Amino acid sequence: MSTIENQLVTVTVNGRTYERAVEPRKALSDFLREDLELTGTHVACEHGFCGVCNILLDGQTVRSCLLFAVQVDGASIETVESLAAPDGTLNALQQAFNDNAGLQCGYCTPGMLMTAKEYLDANPDGGTDDQIREAISGVLCRCTGYQQIVESIRAAASAGKGA
Amino acid sequence: MKPAPFTYHAPTTIEQALGLLASEPDARVLAGGQSLVPRMRLRVEKPATIIDINRVVGLDGISVDAGAVTVGALVRQQTLVTHDGVAAVHPLLREAGSYAGFHTTRHRGTVGGSIAFAAPWAELAATTTLLGATITVRSTKAQRTLAAKDFFLGPNQTALAADELVTEVQFPPAPAGTGFGFHEASPRYRDYATAAAAASITIADGVCSSAALVLLRAAPTPLSIDVASMLVGRVVDDAAIEDVVQSLAGLDPPTDIEASGAHRRRLAVTLTRRALADAWVNAQEAVA
Repeated sequence: MSTIENQLVTVTVNGRTYERAVEPRKALSDFLREDLELTGTHVACEHGFCGVCNILLDGQTVRSCLLFAVQVDGASIETVESLAAPDGTLNALQQAFNDNAGLQCGYCTPGMLMTAKEYLDANPDGGTDDQIREAISGVLCRCTGYQQIVESIRAAASAGKGA
Repeated sequence: MKPAPFTYHAPTTIEQALGLLASEPDARVLAGGQSLVPRMRLRVEKPATIIDINRVVGLDGISVDAGAVTVGALVRQQTLVTHDGVAAVHPLLREAGSYAGFHTTRHRGTVGGSIAFAAPWAELAATTTLLGATITVRSTKAQRTLAAKDFFLGPNQTALAADELVTEVQFPPAPAGTGFGFHEASPRYRDYATAAAAASITIADGVCSSAALVLLRAAPTPLSIDVASMLVGRVVDDAAIEDVVQSLAGLDPPTDIEASGAHRRRLAVTLTRRALADAWVNAQEAVA
């Protein structure tokens, strides 16, 4: 059995700083969900193919299932929980997904939202549909309903604020 | 699945990293982790020790000097493909590098990691071979520099010894009047390449003065085709390209669950036509 010691990790998630002892093999995705109880980040394939677990690490999207929690010591992370207001009011991007049937089954939604946030922060005017499709090409929607997701992202851009 | 337990080290200097590599018997280097971690999750790999080099200082520089590009092993693939100075002298690095995964995986995936991992579909491996790059590796004992053509030995097999770390990749300047082409076929958008072709052509006095072609997945390693002997001194028109295509008849690409060797050979022919045609057009623009 393992005699490997836990390591201390200090990380800022959605503006709040956490300190936890974790086993080195613990994925960041599991750390967020189990240790910090931030279950908004979904896990699906758990080996980097689907992009559902995408989060923002120091401002850039990464697959949280392909990082170990010990690696993010000192980093700043944003998850889907960062989007809505504290009282639960959806932000413009979330509202656009709601209005345009962009959620569908909802499983890929956290990955889509964080990837779309990164895209809209860099392209506030929404760019072209091809650019939107390229931006979300690394996130699998198993409902295969990409059309509504593209429309949601375009609508969020038209609403004037991505996130 | 969850990875097997491992002991974790996060050295901050290259000397510390090399010392760990020399002393830990069952260690793997963790860079971007976009290939290694999936394999650990599938438990194809169960290293006892992980040496995370992400905090090692001095491995993440890019320099462009008189057309030569030097890329530190820890440079993220997305940093490479979005670097305008690199694209200005070696547009192939942006063109081919953009096929490596998705922008999200390229935020983590590193240039050195892609080369050390030597996946048979690795576009960056093809570019090092085509551009005549050299790869610098270090251990506690020595530093050596290998030509890309001598580095890749087979699928996921390289000349890297167990105690060696890739530290840097150097791309020499392209001659004036050089154009590049890169084309890839994959079963799904942005999925791993079933086949790919990278080409370069240099024009002098209106004709081809040098040319190179590298095929991915046509052989166990990036395969260089001697196109210079067929193209130098000629205008690279359809007839010239068909001469190259004729020479590919003997290709014997691997058959696997994704594609038969025969299908890969047909893809190699089509992608070669496109890559050479693009390289010629781009070379004409470069001399214009």
